[in-house]
Amino acid sequence: MPEIFINGQAIEARDDQTVMAVAREHGHFIPYFCWHPQLSVVGNCRMCLVEVEGRGLDIACNMPVAKGMKVFTNSEEVQAHRKAMLQFITLNHPVDCGICDKAGECTLQDYHYQYSGQRSLSHDQKVRSTKFYNLSNRILLDNERCILCLRCTRFTHEVSKSMALGVERRGDTSNIRPVEDRPLSEDPYSDNIIDICPVGALLSRQFLHKSRVWFLQPTPSVCPGCARGCTVQLWHRKPEWKLKALDQRQNESIARVTPLDNPAVNGPWICNKGRDLAQVFERVRADEPMLKGRPVTVPAALDEARRLIGAARHAVALVSNWGSNEELETFKDKLGEVFHCFVKEDWQPQPGERLEDDLLIRADKNPNTTRARELFGHAEPGFKDGTDLVLVWGEGFDFARLPSRARIIFLNSYLQPENGHADVFLPVSIQTERHGHYTNFQGTVSAFEPCFEPKPGVLHAEDLIRALAAPARGHP
Amino acid sequence: MKHLVPEFEKFRERFPAGFESSLVLPCLRRIQEDRGYVANSDIEELAVFLGVPQIQIEEVLSFYTQFRRKPIGRWHLQFCHNVSCSMNGAENVLAHVEQKLGIKPGQTTPDGRYTLSTVECLGSCGTAPMMMVNDGYHENLTFTKLDELLEGLK
Ligand code: SF4
Ligand code: SF4
Ligand code: FES
Ligand code: FES
Repeated sequence: MPEIFINGQAIEARDDQTVMAVAREHGHFIPYFCWHPQLSVVGNCRMCLVEVEGRGLDIACNMPVAKGMKVFTNSEEVQAHRKAMLQFITLNHPVDCGICDKAGECTLQDYHYQYSGQRSLSHDQKVRSTKFYNLSNRILLDNERCILCLRCTRFTHEVSKSMALGVERRGDTSNIRPVEDRPLSEDPYSDNIIDICPVGALLSRQFLHKSRVWFLQPTPSVCPGCARGCTVQLWHRKPEWKLKALDQRQNESIARVTPLDNPAVNGPWICNKGRDLAQVFERVRADEPMLKGRPVTVPAALDEARRLIGAARHAVALVSNWGSNEELETFKDKLGEVFHCFVKEDWQPQPGERLEDDLLIRADKNPNTTRARELFGHAEPGFKDGTDLVLVWGEGFDFARLPSRARIIFLNSYLQPENGHADVFLPVSIQTERHGHYTNFQGTVSAFEPCFEPKPGVLHAEDLIRALAAPARGHP
Repeated sequence: MKHLVPEFEKFRERFPAGFESSLVLPCLRRIQEDRGYVANSDIEELAVFLGVPQIQIEEVLSFYTQFRRKPIGRWHLQFCHNVSCSMNGAENVLAHVEQKLGIKPGQTTPDGRYTLSTVECLGSCGTAPMMMVNDGYHENLTFTKLDELLEGLK
């Protein structure tokens, strides 16, 4: 346990630590571009220069601790060299922040304002390079903005292991480039390089020029794409920046999805499916209760549902594994005696989707199978003779498999043909409209928060379950 | 590339296991010596042979200007145009040859005889200006020297 001094503070460091690691642990910020907690150290940006008494300047990210060393992270010497480093790094940078999606959350921009603020001292023409280079069907590359920190290439070599990126040529004509034999489009984790790129060189095609990031706010959520249950941030417009003209649907839509760093579940990564959650949540919604396809009011639909429940002799419920812990527990508590319950798998793997790997992706493409099975068991849905009522909660069950004589109560969020076939159809809210928790395959519980208001007529499943249970308990 | 595999196996013995990427450079040099340039098929075959991603081979090839991706002429004239040579008139001697051969750096004469290139310091600053013709050094270049040399390269 060598003792070292950072800016005068005595610190017990561990032998295997670098100065960067110790400084971060103890709240001494050292700026960095190429260093990343989950990637190998390359030490190529030299932004993390610190001064060591008696040894001069060196990079903190690759500096092992040594007994008694005195490190200064912000001496005059360090400040001067940091400024010089920023001159180098921006030597050929186009400084086109005005049209760059990263502006507002760009490390280069932040450091420039914080540590330099200086105009370029160079009189030479900047080296021009490719802009909007087609890296994959999801990602564009702006080689002029790239500062060659090599985080993206290291990610594909060390984390996703697709080996899809490398650097061609050298010096100021170096370019990040993909290779044909291992296309980046086949890397299901590719979009993480957009987040870890410290500048605006890697651009999401989905998000390209969609919004300035300061118009958006993140809501913590959980990806329902598989049983890993990665924690994510759903970005949507801030209330104070709601659009009054133009396309108002944008006020209610997910602008982008980014990982929410969570060492217990997903670390700082998510897969590309998690980025595409808008495609799941923004399908056309069902917002009217119906009786056999005929729109009715919510109380009318509830009355009819209660009547069917009261009259049923053998009632079966297919419980959604997209329900939150709270909803599933309420169902068990309020209706668990009334229905014979089975867990229903709402989603199956899609064609072409990666089934499972040893990084994050799980074969079970549903968020809460763990809690659902804990409460309702492992049996496959089955219908005894004499089943006269089936409550189907959530999508993904083929109605042709339901007993032909049974009445159907259907709780669903999306506009789907089955809705009209149910005796009672009740629209329910989706994850982006409510609070809740999911339990992932390891038993880790993560919370999600609402981003949007549900439409009138759309109920939260939890309230609905309580409403259905109220009289059913009275007349067993 | 296939016929070089026995030689590559020998290279492999010089490195500990797991250092396949270190073999990229010696293998590429051998390929170029043999074929005169590195073809796309060489890259593909070498990637398979070494079990490294193709990008790693492309990185090496594009980093070193000494590697060629296209066939070149019988005589490869590489003029140094780094500081010492430039100060001693590299641009003038180069212009002389350009004019004589009717080609610019990066080009090959239509008869396939000469290829002209400019390169960085070849470590012979003391005898600047200088150039390489294939594997040999030619130093303290003057117009007359060049004229005589080109005569001899027919
Ligand atoms: S594209 Fe971004 S992450 Fe990749 S090397 Fe350039 S700056 Fe770094
Ligand atoms: S690994 Fe699973 S939970 Fe994580 S982002 Fe991908 S689909 Fe979502
Ligand atoms: S962060 Fe240390 S050199 Fe880049
Ligand atoms: S500058 Fe030409 S050999 Fe060194």
